[in-house]
Amino acid sequence: MLGSLFLSGILAVAQPVAVQTANQTIVEDGADGMARAVNRMVGGIISYVRWPESPAAAARNLCIVGSPTITASIAPSIAGGLPVTVHRLSPAAVSVRKDCDILFLGRMAVADRQRLIGWVRGRAVLTISDDDPDCLHGAMFCLSARAGRLGFSVNLDAIGRGPLRVDPRVLKMGQNDGSAT
Amino acid sequence: MIERATETPVRRTTLQRLLSRFHFGITLFAVALSGITILLAGVTALRGYADRNLELAARLGAYGAEPALVFNDPLAARDGIEPLTEIAGIARLRVLDDRGRVLTGWTSPNPDPAPLLTHLVFPRPYAIPVRRNGSVIGTVEVWGDSSTMNDYVRLGLLAGLGCLLVTALGTIVLARRFEYELVKPLGEIATVAHDVRLHRRFDKRVKPLGIAELDRLGGDINALLDELQGWQGHMESERAILEHRASHDPLTTLPNRAAFDRQLAERIAAAERRGGRFVLLFCDADNFKAVNDEYGHAVGDRVLVAVSTCIRNGLRKGDFAARIGGDEFVVIVDPLDAEADPGALIRRIKDCVSDPIALPGGDEQYRPSISVGAAVYPDDGSDSAALLTVADAGMYADKMTSGER
Repeated sequence: MLGSLFLSGILAVAQPVAVQTANQTIVEDGADGMARAVNRMVGGIISYVRWPESPAAAARNLCIVGSPTITASIAPSIAGGLPVTVHRLSPAAVSVRKDCDILFLGRMAVADRQRLIGWVRGRAVLTISDDDPDCLHGAMFCLSARAGRLGFSVNLDAIGRGPLRVDPRVLKMGQNDGSAT
Repeated sequence: MIERATETPVRRTTLQRLLSRFHFGITLFAVALSGITILLAGVTALRGYADRNLELAARLGAYGAEPALVFNDPLAARDGIEPLTEIAGIARLRVLDDRGRVLTGWTSPNPDPAPLLTHLVFPRPYAIPVRRNGSVIGTVEVWGDSSTMNDYVRLGLLAGLGCLLVTALGTIVLARRFEYELVKPLGEIATVAHDVRLHRRFDKRVKPLGIAELDRLGGDINALLDELQGWQGHMESERAILEHRASHDPLTTLPNRAAFDRQLAERIAAAERRGGRFVLLFCDADNFKAVNDEYGHAVGDRVLVAVSTCIRNGLRKGDFAARIGGDEFVVIVDPLDAEADPGALIRRIKDCVSDPIALPGGDEQYRPSISVGAAVYPDDGSDSAALLTVADAGMYADKMTSGER
Protein backbone atom coordinates (compact mmCIF):
# COMPACT_ATOMS: atom_id res chain seq x y z
CA MET A 1 0.00 0.00 0.00
CA LEU A 2 2.64 2.44 1.13
CA GLY A 3 4.97 1.28 -1.63
CA SER A 4 2.40 1.71 -4.32
CA LEU A 5 1.67 5.21 -3.06
CA PHE A 6 5.37 6.03 -3.22
CA LEU A 7 5.52 4.60 -6.69
CA SER A 8 2.59 6.66 -7.87
CA GLY A 9 4.26 9.71 -6.33
CA ILE A 10 7.48 9.03 -8.25
CA LEU A 11 5.55 8.46 -11.47
CA ALA A 12 3.77 11.74 -10.88
CA VAL A 13 7.16 13.47 -10.46
CA ALA A 14 8.21 12.20 -13.87
CA GLN A 15 5.31 13.91 -15.57
CA PRO A 16 6.15 17.21 -17.24
CA VAL A 17 3.36 19.26 -15.65
CA ALA A 18 2.94 17.92 -12.15
CA VAL A 19 1.08 20.77 -10.50
CA GLN A 20 -2.03 19.66 -8.71
CA THR A 21 -5.13 21.59 -7.82
CA ALA A 22 -6.20 21.83 -4.24
CA ASN A 23 -8.49 19.79 -2.11
CA GLN A 24 -10.83 21.41 0.38
CA THR A 25 -10.49 21.88 4.09
CA ILE A 26 -13.46 22.74 6.26
CA VAL A 27 -13.24 26.41 7.21
CA GLU A 28 -15.15 27.29 10.34
CA ASP A 29 -17.34 30.33 10.53
CA GLY A 30 -16.17 33.35 12.50
CA ALA A 31 -13.60 36.09 12.19
CA ASP A 32 -10.55 33.94 12.78
CA GLY A 33 -11.91 30.79 11.09
CA MET A 34 -9.74 31.23 8.01
CA ALA A 35 -6.64 32.02 10.12
CA ARG A 36 -7.15 28.81 12.15
CA ALA A 37 -7.68 26.82 8.97
CA VAL A 38 -4.47 28.21 7.41
CA ASN A 39 -2.45 27.52 10.53
CA ARG A 40 -3.85 24.02 10.80
CA MET A 41 -3.05 23.33 7.15
CA VAL A 42 0.51 24.73 7.36
CA GLY A 43 1.07 22.74 10.56
CA GLY A 44 -0.29 19.61 8.88
CA ILE A 45 2.00 20.06 5.89
CA ILE A 46 5.03 20.62 8.14
CA SER A 47 4.18 17.53 10.18
CA TYR A 48 4.16 15.30 7.07
CA VAL A 49 7.53 16.54 5.77
CA ARG A 50 10.79 14.84 6.80
CA TRP A 51 14.03 16.78 6.79
CA PRO A 52 17.07 14.68 6.08
CA GLU A 53 19.76 14.52 8.78
CA SER A 54 17.42 15.96 11.37
CA PRO A 55 15.25 14.30 13.99
CA ALA A 56 11.55 14.19 13.19
CA ALA A 57 10.52 16.01 16.35
CA ALA A 58 13.05 18.85 16.14
CA ALA A 59 11.95 22.46 16.41
CA ARG A 60 11.51 24.22 13.07
CA ASN A 61 12.08 27.78 11.98
CA LEU A 62 9.40 29.21 9.73
CA CYS A 63 10.49 32.32 7.88
CA ILE A 64 7.80 34.51 6.38
CA VAL A 65 8.95 36.47 3.36
CA GLY A 66 6.74 39.05 1.71
CA SER A 67 3.18 39.73 2.89
CA PRO A 68 0.82 36.78 3.38
CA THR A 69 -2.41 37.20 1.43
CA ILE A 70 -4.88 34.82 3.10
CA THR A 71 -4.22 35.65 6.74
CA ALA A 72 -1.67 37.83 8.44
CA SER A 73 -1.41 35.79 11.65
CA ILE A 74 0.71 32.86 10.63
CA ALA A 75 1.30 30.56 13.64
CA PRO A 76 1.20 26.93 12.57
CA SER A 77 -0.55 24.58 15.02
CA ILE A 78 0.72 21.05 14.97
CA ALA A 79 -0.98 18.18 16.78
CA GLY A 80 1.53 16.67 19.19
CA GLY A 81 3.05 20.03 19.99
CA LEU A 82 6.08 20.20 17.65
CA PRO A 83 7.36 23.74 18.21
CA VAL A 84 7.58 26.04 15.20
CA THR A 85 9.20 29.42 15.60
CA VAL A 86 7.96 32.12 13.23
CA HIS A 87 10.34 34.75 11.87
CA ARG A 88 9.55 37.57 9.49
CA LEU A 89 12.43 38.26 7.10
CA SER A 90 13.17 40.32 4.05
CA PRO A 91 14.02 38.38 0.90
CA ALA A 92 17.67 39.29 1.23
CA ALA A 93 17.92 38.13 4.85
CA VAL A 94 16.99 34.54 4.06
CA SER A 95 20.30 33.58 2.55
CA VAL A 96 22.09 35.34 5.38
CA ARG A 97 20.26 33.57 8.23
CA LYS A 98 20.55 30.12 6.65
CA ASP A 99 18.59 28.42 9.46
CA CYS A 100 15.13 28.69 7.87
CA ASP A 101 13.55 25.24 7.61
CA ILE A 102 10.37 26.53 6.04
CA LEU A 103 9.92 29.49 3.75
CA PHE A 104 6.42 30.96 3.71
CA LEU A 105 6.25 33.03 0.53
CA GLY A 106 3.71 35.84 0.64
CA ARG A 107 3.17 38.48 -2.00
CA MET A 108 6.54 39.88 -3.22
CA ALA A 109 8.36 41.06 -6.24
CA VAL A 110 8.72 38.46 -9.01
CA ALA A 111 12.52 38.83 -9.07
CA ASP A 112 12.76 38.22 -5.31
CA ARG A 113 10.57 35.17 -5.61
CA GLN A 114 12.60 33.69 -8.45
CA ARG A 115 15.82 34.35 -6.55
CA LEU A 116 14.46 32.63 -3.43
CA ILE A 117 13.18 29.62 -5.39
CA GLY A 118 16.56 29.33 -7.06
CA TRP A 119 18.33 29.59 -3.67
CA VAL A 120 16.12 26.86 -2.18
CA ARG A 121 16.86 24.42 -4.96
CA GLY A 122 18.94 21.53 -3.57
CA ARG A 123 18.57 22.70 0.06
CA ALA A 124 16.44 21.05 2.74
CA VAL A 125 13.96 23.90 2.84
CA LEU A 126 10.21 23.55 2.50
CA THR A 127 8.50 26.28 0.48
CA ILE A 128 4.86 27.22 0.98
CA SER A 129 3.22 29.98 -1.03
CA ASP A 130 -0.19 31.61 -0.50
CA ASP A 131 0.01 33.88 -3.55
CA ASP A 132 0.09 31.25 -6.30
CA PRO A 133 -3.31 29.39 -6.53
CA ASP A 134 -2.19 27.32 -9.54
CA CYS A 135 1.19 26.52 -7.97
CA LEU A 136 3.17 27.38 -11.09
CA HIS A 137 5.94 29.55 -9.64
CA GLY A 138 8.12 26.92 -8.03
CA ALA A 139 6.85 26.64 -4.42
CA MET A 140 6.38 23.07 -3.17
CA PHE A 141 2.99 23.64 -1.50
CA CYS A 142 0.53 26.36 -2.50
CA LEU A 143 -2.42 27.45 -0.37
CA SER A 144 -5.49 28.80 -2.11
CA ALA A 145 -8.61 30.32 -0.61
CA ARG A 146 -11.57 30.57 -2.94
CA ALA A 147 -15.09 31.50 -1.98
CA GLY A 148 -14.41 30.94 1.71
CA ARG A 149 -12.80 27.55 1.18
CA LEU A 150 -9.19 26.65 1.77
CA GLY A 151 -7.18 24.06 -0.09
CA PHE A 152 -3.61 23.22 -1.03
CA SER A 153 -1.81 21.97 -4.13
CA VAL A 154 1.45 20.15 -4.49
CA ASN A 155 4.18 20.93 -6.97
CA LEU A 156 5.70 17.52 -7.39
CA ASP A 157 8.54 18.84 -9.58
CA ALA A 158 9.66 21.22 -6.86
CA ILE A 159 9.48 18.48 -4.22
CA GLY A 160 11.29 16.05 -6.45
CA ARG A 161 14.19 18.45 -6.94
CA GLY A 162 14.82 18.87 -3.18
CA PRO A 163 16.04 16.42 -0.57
CA LEU A 164 12.84 16.68 1.51
CA ARG A 165 10.60 13.67 1.87
CA VAL A 166 6.87 14.20 1.92
CA ASP A 167 4.37 11.58 3.09
CA PRO A 168 2.78 10.08 -0.02
CA ARG A 169 -0.67 10.34 1.55
CA VAL A 170 -0.28 14.11 1.57
CA LEU A 171 1.05 14.12 -1.99
CA LYS A 172 -2.00 12.10 -2.95
CA MET A 173 -4.29 14.58 -1.20
CA GLY A 174 -2.62 17.40 -3.08
CA GLN A 175 -3.14 15.55 -6.35
CA ASN A 176 -6.94 15.41 -6.02
CA ASP A 177 -8.09 17.27 -9.08
CA GLY A 178 -10.83 19.83 -9.14
CA SER A 179 -13.40 17.41 -10.44
CA ALA A 180 -13.85 15.97 -6.94
CA THR A 181 -14.99 19.35 -5.63
CA MET B 1 -66.25 -53.89 26.41
CA ILE B 2 -63.99 -56.11 28.46
CA GLU B 3 -63.56 -58.46 25.55
CA ARG B 4 -62.49 -55.64 23.29
CA ALA B 5 -60.00 -54.49 25.87
CA THR B 6 -58.39 -57.90 26.07
CA GLU B 7 -58.28 -58.11 22.29
CA THR B 8 -56.14 -55.00 21.96
CA PRO B 9 -53.02 -56.34 20.22
CA VAL B 10 -49.67 -55.95 21.89
CA ARG B 11 -47.50 -53.64 19.79
CA ARG B 12 -44.92 -55.87 18.22
CA THR B 13 -41.78 -54.83 16.43
CA THR B 14 -39.29 -56.77 14.39
CA LEU B 15 -35.70 -57.14 15.42
CA GLN B 16 -34.65 -55.30 12.30
CA ARG B 17 -36.81 -52.31 13.10
CA LEU B 18 -35.50 -52.31 16.65
CA LEU B 19 -31.89 -52.45 15.51
CA SER B 20 -32.45 -49.82 12.87
CA ARG B 21 -34.03 -47.54 15.44
CA PHE B 22 -31.07 -48.01 17.79
CA HIS B 23 -28.59 -47.48 15.01
CA PHE B 24 -30.31 -44.38 13.82
CA GLY B 25 -30.48 -42.95 17.29
CA ILE B 26 -26.83 -43.56 18.04
CA THR B 27 -25.59 -42.37 14.67
CA LEU B 28 -27.84 -39.33 14.76
CA PHE B 29 -26.51 -38.46 18.19
CA ALA B 30 -22.91 -38.83 17.03
CA VAL B 31 -23.46 -36.83 13.86
CA ALA B 32 -25.37 -34.10 15.66
CA LEU B 33 -22.73 -33.89 18.37
CA SER B 34 -19.79 -33.70 15.96
CA GLY B 35 -21.71 -31.44 13.59
CA ILE B 36 -22.60 -28.96 16.31
CA THR B 37 -19.07 -29.08 17.69
CA ILE B 38 -17.56 -28.41 14.29
CA LEU B 39 -20.09 -25.69 13.56
CA LEU B 40 -19.44 -23.97 16.89
CA ALA B 41 -15.68 -24.33 16.53
CA GLY B 42 -15.93 -23.03 12.97
CA VAL B 43 -18.09 -20.07 13.99
CA THR B 44 -15.69 -19.25 16.81
CA ALA B 45 -12.64 -19.46 14.55
CA LEU B 46 -14.42 -17.54 11.82
CA ARG B 47 -15.46 -14.91 14.31
CA GLY B 48 -11.84 -14.56 15.36
CA TYR B 49 -10.83 -14.08 11.74
CA ALA B 50 -13.65 -11.65 11.17
CA ASP B 51 -12.54 -9.65 14.22
CA ARG B 52 -8.97 -9.60 12.92
CA ASN B 53 -10.29 -8.61 9.52
CA LEU B 54 -12.24 -5.70 11.01
CA GLU B 55 -9.28 -4.66 13.10
CA LEU B 56 -6.99 -4.69 10.07
CA ALA B 57 -9.57 -2.80 8.07
CA ALA B 58 -9.88 -0.24 10.84
CA ARG B 59 -6.09 0.13 11.05
CA LEU B 60 -5.89 0.55 7.29
CA GLY B 61 -8.66 3.14 7.51
CA ALA B 62 -6.85 4.93 10.32
CA TYR B 63 -3.67 5.05 8.25
CA GLY B 64 -5.48 6.29 5.16
CA ALA B 65 -7.62 8.82 6.95
CA GLU B 66 -4.85 10.24 9.14
CA PRO B 67 -3.77 13.19 6.90
CA ALA B 68 -7.42 13.90 6.17
CA LEU B 69 -8.01 14.25 9.90
CA VAL B 70 -4.95 16.47 10.23
CA PHE B 71 -6.17 18.72 7.42
CA ASN B 72 -9.84 18.34 8.48
CA ASP B 73 -10.69 17.32 4.93
CA PRO B 74 -13.82 15.18 4.35
CA LEU B 75 -12.98 14.41 0.72
CA ALA B 76 -9.53 13.13 1.60
CA ALA B 77 -11.07 11.12 4.43
CA ARG B 78 -13.44 9.56 1.94
CA ASP B 79 -10.45 8.70 -0.30
CA GLY B 80 -8.61 7.35 2.73
CA ILE B 81 -11.28 4.81 3.57
CA GLU B 82 -12.00 4.00 -0.08
CA PRO B 83 -9.90 0.78 -0.08
CA LEU B 84 -11.91 -0.53 2.88
CA THR B 85 -15.17 -0.49 0.95
CA GLU B 86 -13.94 -3.35 -1.22
CA ILE B 87 -13.28 -5.63 1.76
CA ALA B 88 -16.04 -8.20 2.23
CA GLY B 89 -17.80 -8.34 5.57
CA ILE B 90 -17.86 -4.58 6.29
CA ALA B 91 -21.32 -3.07 6.69
CA ARG B 92 -20.51 0.50 7.67
CA LEU B 93 -17.55 2.86 8.11
CA ARG B 94 -17.20 6.18 9.92
CA VAL B 95 -14.34 8.63 10.43
CA LEU B 96 -14.76 10.88 13.46
CA ASP B 97 -12.55 13.83 14.34
CA ASP B 98 -11.10 14.50 17.77
CA ARG B 99 -14.32 16.16 18.89
CA GLY B 100 -16.47 13.22 17.80
CA ARG B 101 -17.93 14.88 14.73
CA VAL B 102 -18.39 12.72 11.68
CA LEU B 103 -15.91 13.65 8.95
CA THR B 104 -17.09 11.04 6.49
CA GLY B 105 -19.05 7.83 6.48
CA TRP B 106 -19.90 4.92 4.21
CA THR B 107 -22.62 2.28 4.33
CA SER B 108 -22.48 -0.91 2.31
CA PRO B 109 -25.04 -0.96 -0.51
CA ASN B 110 -25.52 -4.71 0.03
CA PRO B 111 -28.20 -5.50 2.61
CA ASP B 112 -27.15 -7.54 5.61
CA PRO B 113 -28.16 -11.17 4.89
CA ALA B 114 -28.75 -12.03 8.54
CA PRO B 115 -29.17 -8.99 10.83
CA LEU B 116 -29.77 -11.23 13.84
CA LEU B 117 -26.47 -13.06 13.31
CA THR B 118 -24.70 -9.73 12.82
CA HIS B 119 -26.21 -8.41 16.02
CA LEU B 120 -25.08 -11.56 17.80
CA VAL B 121 -21.54 -11.70 16.42
CA PHE B 122 -20.71 -8.00 15.95
CA PRO B 123 -22.76 -6.16 18.55
CA ARG B 124 -20.40 -3.14 18.55
CA PRO B 125 -18.33 -1.44 15.86
CA TYR B 126 -14.60 -1.88 15.88
CA ALA B 127 -13.14 1.53 16.78
CA ILE B 128 -9.48 2.43 16.24
CA PRO B 129 -8.20 5.78 17.45
CA VAL B 130 -6.09 7.75 14.93
CA ARG B 131 -2.94 9.08 16.52
CA ARG B 132 -0.64 11.76 15.27
CA ASN B 133 2.58 12.45 17.22
CA GLY B 134 1.15 10.66 20.22
CA SER B 135 -2.18 12.50 20.50
CA VAL B 136 -5.54 11.22 19.32
CA ILE B 137 -6.81 13.22 16.38
CA GLY B 138 -9.81 11.10 15.47
CA THR B 139 -11.42 7.67 15.36
CA VAL B 140 -12.19 5.17 12.61
CA GLU B 141 -15.22 2.93 13.28
CA VAL B 142 -15.91 -0.26 11.35
CA TRP B 143 -19.14 -2.28 11.60
CA GLY B 144 -18.94 -5.88 10.47
CA ASP B 145 -21.71 -7.77 8.78
CA SER B 146 -22.55 -11.45 8.74
CA SER B 147 -22.09 -12.12 5.00
CA THR B 148 -19.04 -14.40 5.41
CA MET B 149 -20.40 -15.93 8.61
CA ASN B 150 -23.78 -16.47 7.01
CA ASP B 151 -22.26 -18.43 4.15
CA TYR B 152 -20.38 -20.63 6.59
CA VAL B 153 -23.42 -21.29 8.77
CA ARG B 154 -25.58 -22.02 5.75
CA LEU B 155 -22.95 -24.37 4.32
CA GLY B 156 -22.58 -25.99 7.73
CA LEU B 157 -26.30 -26.58 8.05
CA LEU B 158 -26.45 -27.96 4.52
CA ALA B 159 -23.55 -30.30 5.25
CA GLY B 160 -25.33 -31.33 8.45
CA LEU B 161 -28.44 -32.14 6.46
CA GLY B 162 -26.36 -34.15 3.99
CA CYS B 163 -24.78 -36.02 6.90
CA LEU B 164 -28.25 -36.74 8.23
CA LEU B 165 -29.27 -38.21 4.90
CA VAL B 166 -26.12 -40.34 4.75
CA THR B 167 -26.82 -41.39 8.33
CA ALA B 168 -30.33 -42.51 7.46
CA LEU B 169 -29.11 -44.48 4.43
CA GLY B 170 -26.23 -45.97 6.38
CA THR B 171 -28.59 -46.98 9.15
CA ILE B 172 -30.84 -48.79 6.71
CA VAL B 173 -27.88 -50.61 5.18
CA LEU B 174 -26.52 -51.50 8.61
CA ALA B 175 -29.90 -52.75 9.75
CA ARG B 176 -30.18 -54.90 6.61
CA ARG B 177 -26.75 -56.28 7.31
CA PHE B 178 -27.71 -56.97 10.90
CA GLU B 179 -30.89 -58.62 9.80
CA TYR B 180 -28.90 -60.87 7.52
CA GLU B 181 -26.34 -61.72 10.19
CA LEU B 182 -28.57 -61.95 13.24
CA VAL B 183 -32.18 -62.38 12.23
CA LYS B 184 -31.46 -65.09 9.68
CA PRO B 185 -29.73 -67.47 12.15
CA LEU B 186 -32.49 -66.77 14.66
CA GLY B 187 -34.99 -67.61 11.93
CA GLU B 188 -33.19 -70.92 11.34
CA ILE B 189 -33.46 -71.80 15.02
CA ALA B 190 -37.14 -70.86 14.94
CA THR B 191 -37.68 -73.02 11.82
CA VAL B 192 -36.16 -76.04 13.52
CA ALA B 193 -38.25 -75.51 16.67
CA HIS B 194 -41.38 -75.07 14.55
CA ASP B 195 -40.66 -78.23 12.54
CA VAL B 196 -40.13 -80.25 15.67
CA ARG B 197 -43.31 -78.99 17.33
CA LEU B 198 -45.55 -79.30 14.29
CA HIS B 199 -44.19 -82.35 12.45
CA ARG B 200 -42.51 -84.24 15.32
CA ARG B 201 -39.29 -84.18 13.31
CA PHE B 202 -37.06 -85.02 16.26
CA ASP B 203 -34.17 -85.76 13.94
CA LYS B 204 -33.86 -82.07 12.93
CA ARG B 205 -30.89 -80.17 14.35
CA VAL B 206 -29.78 -76.54 14.43
CA LYS B 207 -26.70 -76.05 12.21
CA PRO B 208 -23.68 -74.07 13.50
CA LEU B 209 -24.45 -70.35 13.01
CA GLY B 210 -21.09 -68.66 13.62
CA ILE B 211 -22.34 -66.41 16.42
CA ALA B 212 -21.22 -67.57 19.85
CA GLU B 213 -24.41 -66.71 21.74
CA LEU B 214 -26.68 -68.15 19.07
CA ASP B 215 -24.52 -71.26 18.77
CA ARG B 216 -24.91 -71.78 22.52
CA LEU B 217 -28.65 -71.45 22.15
CA GLY B 218 -28.59 -73.79 19.14
CA GLY B 219 -26.46 -76.27 21.08
CA ASP B 220 -28.91 -76.24 23.97
CA ILE B 221 -31.80 -76.77 21.60
CA ASN B 222 -29.93 -79.63 19.93
CA ALA B 223 -29.24 -81.26 23.29
CA LEU B 224 -32.91 -80.90 24.18
CA LEU B 225 -33.84 -82.46 20.85
CA ASP B 226 -31.43 -85.35 21.50
CA GLU B 227 -33.20 -86.00 24.79
CA LEU B 228 -36.61 -85.69 23.20
CA GLN B 229 -35.60 -88.09 20.45
CA GLY B 230 -34.37 -90.59 23.05
CA TRP B 231 -37.61 -90.35 24.98
CA GLN B 232 -39.62 -90.65 21.81
CA GLY B 233 -37.76 -93.86 20.73
CA HIS B 234 -38.05 -95.33 24.19
CA MET B 235 -41.76 -94.59 24.31
CA GLU B 236 -42.32 -96.07 20.87
CA SER B 237 -40.58 -99.35 21.68
CA GLU B 238 -42.40 -99.48 25.00
CA ARG B 239 -45.68 -99.00 23.25
CA ALA B 240 -44.84 -101.69 20.68
CA ILE B 241 -44.04 -104.12 23.48
CA LEU B 242 -47.26 -103.27 25.25
CA GLU B 243 -49.21 -103.57 22.03
CA HIS B 244 -47.66 -106.95 21.29
CA ARG B 245 -48.34 -108.08 24.82
CA ALA B 246 -51.95 -107.02 24.56
CA SER B 247 -52.59 -108.85 21.32
CA HIS B 248 -50.36 -111.92 21.71
CA ASP B 249 -50.22 -115.01 23.82
CA PRO B 250 -47.01 -115.06 25.83
CA LEU B 251 -46.57 -118.84 25.76
CA THR B 252 -46.88 -119.54 22.03
CA THR B 253 -46.31 -115.96 20.86
CA LEU B 254 -49.34 -116.37 18.60
CA PRO B 255 -51.95 -113.60 18.47
CA ASN B 256 -54.65 -113.89 21.12
CA ARG B 257 -58.43 -113.91 21.05
CA ALA B 258 -58.80 -110.16 20.81
CA ALA B 259 -56.37 -109.97 17.87
CA PHE B 260 -58.17 -112.83 16.17
CA ASP B 261 -61.59 -111.16 16.56
CA ARG B 262 -60.28 -107.99 14.90
CA GLN B 263 -58.52 -110.00 12.17
CA LEU B 264 -61.58 -112.10 11.36
CA ALA B 265 -63.81 -109.03 11.11
CA GLU B 266 -61.28 -107.39 8.77
CA ARG B 267 -60.96 -110.51 6.59
CA ILE B 268 -64.73 -110.82 6.30
CA ALA B 269 -65.02 -107.19 5.29
CA ALA B 270 -62.18 -107.54 2.76
CA ALA B 271 -63.56 -110.75 1.28
CA GLU B 272 -67.00 -109.20 1.04
CA ARG B 273 -65.57 -106.19 -0.79
CA ARG B 274 -63.73 -108.18 -3.40
CA GLY B 275 -66.11 -111.23 -3.44
CA GLY B 276 -63.36 -113.62 -2.33
CA ARG B 277 -63.50 -116.73 -0.24
CA PHE B 278 -61.46 -118.01 2.75
CA VAL B 279 -61.38 -120.90 5.16
CA LEU B 280 -61.55 -120.78 8.94
CA LEU B 281 -59.98 -123.76 10.73
CA PHE B 282 -60.73 -124.48 14.36
CA CYS B 283 -58.13 -126.71 16.09
CA ASP B 284 -58.37 -128.23 19.53
CA ALA B 285 -55.84 -130.45 21.31
CA ASP B 286 -57.30 -133.85 22.20
CA ASN B 287 -57.41 -134.93 25.85
CA PHE B 288 -55.59 -131.78 26.86
CA LYS B 289 -57.20 -131.73 30.33
CA ALA B 290 -56.04 -135.30 30.90
CA VAL B 291 -52.47 -134.50 29.80
CA ASN B 292 -52.39 -131.59 32.21
CA ASP B 293 -53.71 -133.71 35.03
CA GLU B 294 -51.60 -136.73 34.29
CA TYR B 295 -48.21 -135.28 33.30
CA GLY B 296 -48.40 -131.77 34.71
CA HIS B 297 -48.78 -128.30 33.27
CA ALA B 298 -45.21 -128.24 31.90
CA VAL B 299 -46.05 -131.03 29.51
CA GLY B 300 -49.37 -129.33 28.66
CA ASP B 301 -47.45 -126.17 27.81
CA ARG B 302 -45.06 -128.12 25.63
CA VAL B 303 -48.03 -129.63 23.80
CA LEU B 304 -49.43 -126.15 23.19
CA VAL B 305 -46.03 -124.86 21.93
CA ALA B 306 -45.68 -127.91 19.65
CA VAL B 307 -49.16 -127.33 18.19
CA SER B 308 -48.51 -123.65 17.63
CA THR B 309 -45.16 -124.39 15.95
CA CYS B 310 -46.80 -126.91 13.62
CA ILE B 311 -49.59 -124.48 12.72
CA ARG B 312 -47.14 -121.64 12.11
CA ASN B 313 -44.93 -123.80 9.90
CA GLY B 314 -47.86 -124.76 7.70
CA LEU B 315 -49.02 -121.21 7.01
CA ARG B 316 -48.66 -119.30 3.75
CA LYS B 317 -47.74 -115.61 3.73
CA GLY B 318 -51.25 -114.15 3.93
CA ASP B 319 -52.62 -116.73 6.36
CA PHE B 320 -53.30 -116.00 10.03
CA ALA B 321 -53.16 -118.13 13.16
CA ALA B 322 -54.14 -117.40 16.78
CA ARG B 323 -54.59 -119.11 20.14
CA ILE B 324 -58.04 -118.14 21.33
CA GLY B 325 -58.45 -120.31 24.41
CA GLY B 326 -56.68 -122.88 26.63
CA ASP B 327 -56.10 -125.48 23.92
CA GLU B 328 -58.03 -123.88 21.06
CA PHE B 329 -56.31 -122.52 17.96
CA VAL B 330 -57.76 -120.92 14.87
CA VAL B 331 -56.27 -120.53 11.40
CA ILE B 332 -57.53 -118.30 8.61
CA VAL B 333 -56.47 -119.58 5.19
CA ASP B 334 -57.05 -116.58 2.99
CA PRO B 335 -57.69 -116.43 0.09
CA LEU B 336 -59.22 -119.79 -0.78
CA ASP B 337 -57.99 -120.24 -4.33
CA ALA B 338 -56.46 -122.92 -6.48
CA GLU B 339 -53.19 -122.87 -4.59
CA ALA B 340 -54.83 -123.23 -1.17
CA ASP B 341 -55.48 -126.79 -0.08
CA PRO B 342 -57.07 -126.79 3.38
CA GLY B 343 -57.29 -130.58 3.46
CA ALA B 344 -53.56 -130.96 2.88
CA LEU B 345 -52.85 -128.26 5.43
CA ILE B 346 -54.94 -130.04 8.06
CA ARG B 347 -53.17 -133.31 7.35
CA ARG B 348 -49.79 -131.62 7.51
CA ILE B 349 -50.57 -129.99 10.85
CA LYS B 350 -51.97 -133.24 12.34
CA ASP B 351 -48.91 -135.10 11.11
CA CYS B 352 -46.57 -132.58 12.64
CA VAL B 353 -48.42 -132.47 15.93
CA SER B 354 -48.22 -136.26 16.30
CA ASP B 355 -44.43 -136.12 16.79
CA PRO B 356 -43.74 -137.62 20.23
CA ILE B 357 -42.94 -135.45 23.22
CA ALA B 358 -40.54 -136.79 25.88
CA LEU B 359 -42.13 -137.00 29.28
CA PRO B 360 -40.14 -135.97 32.37
CA GLY B 361 -38.64 -138.64 34.60
CA GLY B 362 -38.58 -141.59 32.19
CA ASP B 363 -38.27 -142.90 28.67
CA GLU B 364 -42.01 -142.65 28.16
CA GLN B 365 -43.25 -140.50 25.33
CA TYR B 366 -46.52 -138.79 24.68
CA ARG B 367 -48.01 -138.36 21.20
CA PRO B 368 -50.39 -135.41 21.17
CA SER B 369 -53.18 -135.12 18.61
CA ILE B 370 -55.60 -132.44 17.54
CA SER B 371 -59.11 -132.25 16.12
CA VAL B 372 -59.80 -129.75 13.36
CA GLY B 373 -63.05 -128.31 11.99
CA ALA B 374 -63.37 -125.98 9.00
CA ALA B 375 -65.80 -123.33 7.80
CA VAL B 376 -65.74 -121.59 4.43
CA TYR B 377 -66.73 -117.95 3.91
CA PRO B 378 -69.26 -117.21 2.50
CA ASP B 379 -70.56 -120.81 2.00
CA ASP B 380 -70.88 -121.62 5.74
CA GLY B 381 -71.70 -118.16 7.00
CA SER B 382 -71.12 -114.47 6.38
CA ASP B 383 -70.29 -113.33 9.92
CA SER B 384 -67.72 -114.39 12.46
CA ALA B 385 -70.16 -116.01 14.89
CA ALA B 386 -71.69 -118.23 12.18
CA LEU B 387 -68.26 -119.20 10.83
CA LEU B 388 -66.97 -120.01 14.33
CA THR B 389 -70.06 -122.07 15.09
CA VAL B 390 -69.68 -124.11 11.92
CA ALA B 391 -65.94 -124.62 12.45
CA ASP B 392 -66.48 -125.50 16.09
CA ALA B 393 -69.11 -128.04 15.10
CA GLY B 394 -66.74 -129.52 12.47
CA MET B 395 -63.98 -129.81 15.12
CA TYR B 396 -66.35 -131.49 17.49
CA ALA B 397 -67.42 -133.98 14.83
CA ASP B 398 -63.70 -134.66 14.10
CA LYS B 399 -63.05 -135.25 17.81
CA MET B 400 -65.96 -137.73 17.95
CA THR B 401 -64.68 -139.73 14.99
CA SER B 402 -61.10 -139.82 16.30
CA GLY B 403 -62.40 -140.80 19.73
CA GLU B 404 -64.22 -143.73 18.17
CA ARG B 405 -61.11 -144.93 16.51
